[in-house]
Amino acid sequence: MTLEHYLILGAVLFCVGLLGALTRRNAVVVLFSIEIMLNAANLNFIAFWRFGENPEALQGPLFTLFTIAVAAAEVAVGLALVIAVYRHFKTVDLEQLDTLKEE
Amino acid sequence: MTPEITFWVLAFIAVCGALVAVVRRNLIHGVFALMIFFAALAGLFLLLLAEFIAAVQILVYIGAVGILLLFAIMLTERVTGDDGRSIAARGWFWGLAAAVAVFVFLLLPAIQEADLPESAQSIQPSVKELGLKLMAPYVVTLEVLALLLTAALIGAVAVAQGAEVNKKEDSDDA
Repeated sequence: MTLEHYLILGAVLFCVGLLGALTRRNAVVVLFSIEIMLNAANLNFIAFWRFGENPEALQGPLFTLFTIAVAAAEVAVGLALVIAVYRHFKTVDLEQLDTLKEE
Repeated sequence: MTPEITFWVLAFIAVCGALVAVVRRNLIHGVFALMIFFAALAGLFLLLLAEFIAAVQILVYIGAVGILLLFAIMLTERVTGDDGRSIAARGWFWGLAAAVAVFVFLLLPAIQEADLPESAQSIQPSVKELGLKLMAPYVVTLEVLALLLTAALIGAVAVAQGAEVNKKEDSDDA
């Protein structure tokens, strides 16, 4: 397996996540589409570390660890926001959350 | 099983899991597909000899993020989604076009034109090294990350608790 295979897999997964984030109307689905995109980026970090120069510096795994921690924080805050929005508007449908648009 | 077959099987499972998670109407099914995607990615990390990252992936994503998403879905509406309303946003076609365009015109040319190294490096199992690195050159990052996680958890609790609780406390004080 060459690096190119992993990078193309990462690109496909990123685009699947992008597809979900752009086309779904449920806020929770948009949130987990963003998780898919972050995971695709992690796969790229690890693949570059495995195939790149100087793997004993461990930059790929360290970056991935930090991304995972930031992603976990993001999910916690994001879900809290979704629940707060649901309490207020009684919906998580992004099409109906258009208060700013109305005059 | 050779690494090639393992790679293709895991890649297939990951892409299918992600696709099902994104297009599925029933949100609970979506989250379980997402967990399968996370597990396949952990397998790919193992294949790339990042064994600690694979363990963290399973612990954090399948263990924590998956359960958190399940709870968020069950606390909000439309779990099964079978109420006949469309699951796609208005203008979903442009979203699909944008995703395909990003892949075809941005990511694929970038990968194909880059001068990529051909063969994998030989590496040793690295959990001890990872721990030493986190303690010596990256200790500030680690501390900032700990602060971020604490702030995020407190913020999440504060946001999810909502305005009503604050109002009640205010009236109790008065």
